[in-house]
Amino acid sequence: MNPSLKLLLLLIVALEISFTTIVSLNVALVILAGIYLLAKRVKLRTLLWLLIVPLIPAIGLWSTQYINGTGQKELMAWVLFTRIYAFVFTGATLTLTTDVLELTDSLEQNCHLPAKFAYGVLAAYNLAPKIKHEVQVIRAAGLMRGQTLSFWSPQLYFKAILISITWSQNLAQAMASHGFVEDAPRTHYRKVRVRPVDWGLLIGGIILLQLGVFVMPWH
Amino acid sequence: MATIALEHLSYTYQTAQTPIFEHVTAKFPAHQFTLLTGPSGTGKSTLLQLMAGLLPLPADHGHICYDQTQLQNISAPDRSKRVAMMFQNPNQQFAMDTVEHELIFALENQRTDPHIIHHRLTSALDFIGIRELQHRLLNQLSGGEKQKVALAVIVAMDSDVILLDEPFASVDPDARVSLLRRLVELRDQRGKTIILADHDYAGYDQIVDHVLQITPTHQVVELSRSDWPAFFAAFQPQTLPAWFLPVPVDQPLFALHQVGLRQGQHELVRPTDLQLHAHRNTLITGANGTGKSTLFEALVRLNPYSGTINYDGHDIQKLRRKRYARHVALLFQDAEAQFFNITVAEELAQSQKYAYGDYFTPTRIQSALTQLNLAGRDEQVIYTLSEGQKKKLQILLMLIMQSPVLLMDEPLKGLDLSSIHALVKLLQTVQAATQQTLIIISHQLTGLTPLIDYHLRLADHQLQYVGEVRHES
Amino acid sequence: MKWVKDWYLSDIILLALIGVFFGIIFLGTNYVYDVLTAVFAPLGLSQIPNELLLGLWCMPGMLAGYMLRIKGASVLGEFLASVVEMLFGGQWGASTMISGILQGIGSELGFTLTRYKHYDWLGLAATAATTTIVTFGWDLARSGYGKLQLWLLLLFFVVRFCSMFVFGGLLTRAITDLLDRSHVLKTTHTN
Ligand SMILES: Nc1ncnc2c1ncn2[C@@H]1O[C@H](COP(=O)(O)OP(=O)(O)OP(=O)(O)O)[C@@H](O)[C@H]1O
Ligand SMILES: Nc1ncnc2c1ncn2[C@@H]1O[C@H](COP(=O)(O)OP(=O)(O)OP(=O)(O)O)[C@@H](O)[C@H]1O
Ligand SMILES: [Mg+2]
Ligand SMILES: [Mg+2]
Repeated sequence: MNPSLKLLLLLIVALEISFTTIVSLNVALVILAGIYLLAKRVKLRTLLWLLIVPLIPAIGLWSTQYINGTGQKELMAWVLFTRIYAFVFTGATLTLTTDVLELTDSLEQNCHLPAKFAYGVLAAYNLAPKIKHEVQVIRAAGLMRGQTLSFWSPQLYFKAILISITWSQNLAQAMASHGFVEDAPRTHYRKVRVRPVDWGLLIGGIILLQLGVFVMPWH
Repeated sequence: MATIALEHLSYTYQTAQTPIFEHVTAKFPAHQFTLLTGPSGTGKSTLLQLMAGLLPLPADHGHICYDQTQLQNISAPDRSKRVAMMFQNPNQQFAMDTVEHELIFALENQRTDPHIIHHRLTSALDFIGIRELQHRLLNQLSGGEKQKVALAVIVAMDSDVILLDEPFASVDPDARVSLLRRLVELRDQRGKTIILADHDYAGYDQIVDHVLQITPTHQVVELSRSDWPAFFAAFQPQTLPAWFLPVPVDQPLFALHQVGLRQGQHELVRPTDLQLHAHRNTLITGANGTGKSTLFEALVRLNPYSGTINYDGHDIQKLRRKRYARHVALLFQDAEAQFFNITVAEELAQSQKYAYGDYFTPTRIQSALTQLNLAGRDEQVIYTLSEGQKKKLQILLMLIMQSPVLLMDEPLKGLDLSSIHALVKLLQTVQAATQQTLIIISHQLTGLTPLIDYHLRLADHQLQYVGEVRHES
Repeated sequence: MKWVKDWYLSDIILLALIGVFFGIIFLGTNYVYDVLTAVFAPLGLSQIPNELLLGLWCMPGMLAGYMLRIKGASVLGEFLASVVEMLFGGQWGASTMISGILQGIGSELGFTLTRYKHYDWLGLAATAATTTIVTFGWDLARSGYGKLQLWLLLLFFVVRFCSMFVFGGLLTRAITDLLDRSHVLKTTHTN
């Protein structure tokens, strides 16, 4: 499916289930997303991981409602529990199966997102592995100069921002010297199209969701 | 094809009092190779950025002309066909993830017809001779490989003028030779104009057409041919002195047992046993990307490794991080990594406060600053120092800390020859008094050799001492 | 789309990079969150750690607004941080982006209400307050807060505001003071 339309569909789903209280709908979404992920050959281990990661926040929300809720405590507790899983699994259909570059291309070509936003964020994203290492380096360098930095130390964030500033200027200069001009037209080597079937999937998905929310007698 | 002319160019940084350039008039002829020189901090980077249009030139500050056209009158989309720049730092030069995608990105920016993009891209890679890197992730390339990719991008974009700001600062000698050969081909076969700033002039006298110098009086003047021999003499290729092999001891500083290093899927160093020695200076050399920095990061626990590393008889994984950091410090390849404050004076104060030894008294610090030509900059914000100035300050800060062991990753990067001599002298004086152990990674050896006792070489995934066997007398 | 012209490529990269950096630093707080959640769960108060740390997650937005002083910086800063977080496979999938926009709008409102003139304690207090209010409104629905007992809601609200003020106010101020002195941030914008 076209990445932009997929993102749009997922946003609609996330928004709508935030306001509904149907456990079975959440479960159905998790199952659908799970099937999609399996069909796309996502590893079973990754799927298991998706089940484990949200467990603590899910239990947190569940217990808060269960103990301190008003009205139908038990129902609400389970709604919230399953809602988190619905968020995670539907979200994974994008993050685990769509290449970030493909999404960028599509946002630029199909949604006419200005190229500076598309490539600016992409450039930063591509530096992420380096950034992970850099955070460790900041901490170690601090120790070597007698300074312990933890997540509430202004210096840690100051260093992070300084590096961000230097890198952003370097990257912007490098992109400019690779011919990138803000707000100027570009050609596209990898063409991304919105095919009728993409529209079909989007509209079909939305209709299905409404059926699930308003029509289906879940109980 | 473009001749570049500077006409009455003046430039001063907003936050600085002294100008960098004052009414400079100079010419960079078309199809020729010009070497731009000048001591650290005179404004080479500034000039190149002005010429590339990356630093805007205020009105009434003279002109930069490409043939007859003023730079600011060349429309932004056409600029990349006129001039492209290659930067000193091989990182943060690319927006995309892989080599191929970066080239496509650049060609798309130039509005190249998508049908010919593939052809342009492969022929540029072939020209530089790095076709095998086409699908590699940029993050996983070595410094030298990244610089080759950067050059390939410029070749694909087919810019008339190529500006290079110390492109070889983190590149090993082999990669440097091969990159220089490409540049000469670009001039001879494709008529490119090439302007390159560097500190290490070795080998240029055979290649370049002009040498331009930025003078202390903020001018740019050409060095006449007759002065070339004297100018290049200090940079004759050196043969390494014959160091001795270390004699194995019972209590080495570091003892590595079956230590292996890898990055991702990639094996860098095969499991090996090795000793590093206290109160001696060890030089580590090896080509780009062989894993020298990775080794240092393993020694300070910033990178995983297999096997065990003992420091002074203790497994480093079992030592408290904070305590260990005060024993074994690392001078990072990137100077800014070591700064935590704002002004030069604040940095010096912090190092003094937490120092491990008391060798560096205020008087000694002052004389070291003078020696390194950094005096009088107490209130300057560190982030406005030039690359060379940052490097010197970084080294001084770590020396003041007086950790028993200092690992130095490319300490000479971006330094001019007189700075190197001053620095090596300072290191020798300090070491005579404090017995600090230095372990040094360096590509650049000019001036450094008097400091070295042992030589460790990293090649073919092997880490081995090289040198002669010492005969007992 | 006039606002698009106000943004330079380097600003966009800067905000996205700050988003990545902060996201990675925050990952280190996850274990604090997990432990606290487990401790508070039997009391039905396991949202407390979430409330305590939320200010940290909203910091990119408040900081961006305070640091860059451009209209829309908070929204864009927080949104980009959430996009990057989502791409990394953050815990909340696409709803991360919705939260990101709302948190950003919340932070932005504080600066809007003070007419983009108060880059001082007043502005910071305002942005902490509006961020608290907007995000709390969203959690009434998304996290089912609407169905909780009143005393608990009040407690959560107060804790959340304190967290916003500590991280978005005090810490942001400390960081930007350092930045101001370092002169590295020369905004080229004039509004
Ligand atoms: N943004 C800035 N604000 C104020 N001063 C600056 C700024 N950037 C550079 N300088 C100063 O301008 C001078 C020239 O800097 P530049 O980086 O061009 O030198 P360089 O010749 O490239 O030196 P190096 O060989 O060390 O790289 C230096 O003294 C530096 O301290
Ligand atoms: N996170 C990573 N994932 C995969 N490969 C990496 C990663 N980080 C570094 N590398 C690669 O590992 C190799 C070793 O890098 P290292 O920095 O140790 O080399 P080096 O010997 O210090 O080179 P140089 O002389 O260029 O400084 C390089 O090819 C580098 O691109
Ligand atoms: Mg320079
Ligand atoms: Mg290295």
